[in-house]
Amino acid sequence: MEVYGSSGVSLREFGCEQSLLSRPDGSASFIQGDTSVLAGVYGPAEVKVSKEIYDRATLEVLMQPKVGLPSVRERSQEQCVRETCEASLLLSLHPRSSLTLILQVLHDDGSLLSCSLNAACMALMDAGLPMSCLFCGVTCAIDTEGRIITDPTAAQEKESRALMTFAIDSKEHRVLMSATKGSFSVNELQQCIAVSQSASEKIFQFYRDSVRRRYSKTL
Amino acid sequence: MGNVVQSEARGAVRFSSVEVCGNMAGLELLSDQGYRLDGRKATELRKVQARMGVFAQADGSAYLEQGNTKALAVVYGPHEMRGSRSRTRHDQAVINCQYSMATFSTAERKRRPHGDRKSTEMSLHLKQTFEAAVMTQLYPRSQIDIYVKILQSDGGNYSVCVNAATLAVIDAGIPMRDYVCACTVGFVDETPLADLCYAEESGGVSSLALALLPRGGQIALLQMDARLHQDHLETLIEAAMTACKGVSKVLDEVVRQHLQESSVLSGE
Amino acid sequence: MKDTPLSNCERDFLLKAIEEKKRLDGRQTYDYRKMKITFGTDFGCCFVDLGKTRVMAQVSSELVTPKESRPNEGIMFFNIELSPMASPAFEQGRQSELSVKLNRQLERCLRNSKCIDTESLCVVSGEKVWQIRVDVHMLNHDGNLMDAASIAAITALCHFRRPDVGIQGDEVTVFSPEERDPIPLSIYHMPISVSFAFFQQGTYLLVDPCEREERVMDGLLMIAMNKHREICSIQSSGGIMLLKEQVMRCSKIASIKVSEITELISKALENDKKARKAGERCGFAESMPQERITALKMDETPVEMTDVTEKANDIVHNADAPPQMVPSPVVPIPGVGQVGQGVQSTWGLEEDDEGEEEENDNSGEEQDEKVTRMEEEKLESREGDVVEISDSEEEEVVILNPEKVSKNTGYTSHHKGAAATQKRKRK
Repeated sequence: MEVYGSSGVSLREFGCEQSLLSRPDGSASFIQGDTSVLAGVYGPAEVKVSKEIYDRATLEVLMQPKVGLPSVRERSQEQCVRETCEASLLLSLHPRSSLTLILQVLHDDGSLLSCSLNAACMALMDAGLPMSCLFCGVTCAIDTEGRIITDPTAAQEKESRALMTFAIDSKEHRVLMSATKGSFSVNELQQCIAVSQSASEKIFQFYRDSVRRRYSKTL
Repeated sequence: MGNVVQSEARGAVRFSSVEVCGNMAGLELLSDQGYRLDGRKATELRKVQARMGVFAQADGSAYLEQGNTKALAVVYGPHEMRGSRSRTRHDQAVINCQYSMATFSTAERKRRPHGDRKSTEMSLHLKQTFEAAVMTQLYPRSQIDIYVKILQSDGGNYSVCVNAATLAVIDAGIPMRDYVCACTVGFVDETPLADLCYAEESGGVSSLALALLPRGGQIALLQMDARLHQDHLETLIEAAMTACKGVSKVLDEVVRQHLQESSVLSGE
Repeated sequence: MKDTPLSNCERDFLLKAIEEKKRLDGRQTYDYRKMKITFGTDFGCCFVDLGKTRVMAQVSSELVTPKESRPNEGIMFFNIELSPMASPAFEQGRQSELSVKLNRQLERCLRNSKCIDTESLCVVSGEKVWQIRVDVHMLNHDGNLMDAASIAAITALCHFRRPDVGIQGDEVTVFSPEERDPIPLSIYHMPISVSFAFFQQGTYLLVDPCEREERVMDGLLMIAMNKHREICSIQSSGGIMLLKEQVMRCSKIASIKVSEITELISKALENDKKARKAGERCGFAESMPQERITALKMDETPVEMTDVTEKANDIVHNADAPPQMVPSPVVPIPGVGQVGQGVQSTWGLEEDDEGEEEENDNSGEEQDEKVTRMEEEKLESREGDVVEISDSEEEEVVILNPEKVSKNTGYTSHHKGAAATQKRKRK
């Protein structure tokens, strides 16, 4: 439990492309190693009367699996992403309107939820929606020997004893959302959070770089 | 007991599948003498029998038999929009079609009379056919309902439905550009076969369904399945158009006869 | 969410432009938009870009029992998913007219034309066959979804490899890709759909309409053909009146377009095969355009880990003491009903209470140690999972802490009248 090889603690290569789809108001694809997720955002737009909320916008998150129809797994991930987005978006600026975020899994090779979160954040940025802070997702796995692995692949996820995904905000590096699986101790949890927080800095730096690159010609 | 029944049922299914396979492999669809399975010649249509005004409460109705395929069509409208008003068109009438098959219409009992992908598609095709033929611009902000039910299915469901619905629309007194007549045509041994029956349809023939407005030679719907070389397309369409014109003559006769009968009844 | 309606000005403008044989994107009447075919990381995943229209197809396979009427044929299943990502007008999980139309057309184009040898998908006749499922996801709708979907589906099918199967007697073994190379499907021909849009009652005709053009068109004619100039399916839609000559002309154009597209698909497949053979990385990540300003890539980066342990320890130390834990929770064997929380009864068992207090004091001070101990105990408790049920109540109880056996046995056995088997963890 006390020793972890530094080999596991790295983030796979990152890639991101913004506004790659013409129809949505904001879109982004995010790639972590082989895992890749495409996100599209529509809104703020007209909302169905049944879903209208009088003092803020209604956020709807849809996750499309690659094969077959959305099932309970997708529903739970939708929930995780939606709660994270609700925490960071300033929804009260657009009362009685709808925001729709659609996530399409392009390839799942581990850390799917964190990749979805990152894609979602990039897409929301691309759509130009006001947010109180940015957020990113980091997945940590603890393998059978107690080592912490960040950004695990599907094979590593399978081997692991516990799997944790955190959404971390950009302002104070606080945890916005956590989704865990498997058994772990309090200490391990704290360690994973600490690892995720330091990993999040890299991701936010990446966000910053890609946005700077994107607007390099207009600024 | 349950076991016995089950095995019997399975036996029956197997038998029918053997029959189908038989068609594909051996049964020749066109004999050397030029006769088809049911004794027709290549360009011969099945016998068409029809009656108009079979229901009193509907605005228009018709019953049509084409060989062993039997269909009933009912038309309501034009009336004001019902259901979702958002579909209202300010410049033309909306046509609403529903196609269904009676549960007893096929050899194997059907579970759902309508609502599956194939029936929905058929409803769409009927709608499209009649949107082209009915003069919808005369009835803005209104709706015309066409309900068609197949009572017995023996091939050419789409074309029988179109023919029956045409008569029903005429019976309802809704102006159309022309009769819409539909017919399926198959292609075997370089010869087009008109008006396929079920045995021929399932025998792996490439078939083409065509809905025609005969006077202008305009095609309201064209649909083809299975492989066919491009060079044969023209002959096939040609054959289908001739067959449709044949159907239109029959329909015309039915309409005239119906008018005569009703005018005699009303004493004019 | 509704689609943004098209204004009358836009409509008139588009129609006027079409009359003058001009298109919004500068194409000629019979031109296709730029087509790009890319592949995903795994087999049977294909992306098709047709101008701004973008679709993804994924093929998957599964062993199922065949249909009774066709005991030795594999099953093909097609599903076009109109994801709300493609257009705000698409709703999830609703069978719209468009989705029925597209699904049926794809089925007709690929299944009815028998382009795939379904008999080769049979493993054990009447018992096990492969079901090949093709999921087509619409990602961006900019017109001509059908052509893009048909190209994506057939390319994905060509690209797909199913696991190899070995049969020994009655035993069917499915080999993983590491054990035996997966095998491609046998595909006879490649039907490709080409769409023609008609305007002004069929006077004007355009190939590959974009979304704006689709909105003002009168009707659509879809012709699916393969490169041998065989027509696999024809479907007209929308209330248009076609003339025979128009259909013939369209079929001629379609045959030319299909041969071009087939060429492109084979080239794309060839390239991918080469890349895979050479062991290069392939897939979506690699196909991302690097030169674009909107895209950025970062290589693998290590995460700073040096102070993590200390940080975690600090937090754990500085945190408030965790809420009082029940010192000896009674964990029932899974599947056993129990009333209450399993907290110890305090009915005049004083020695027991004292023991608890002592412990609480300890745990407050050294959380870290406690955590480790808990860990150890967890392991122990796992071993203790197997509890033999015997007649005597005394023996049913498994005590994990041997020192206190004498104290507790009596108590527990009284306490648990109804609960059948219980296991105790002791701090």
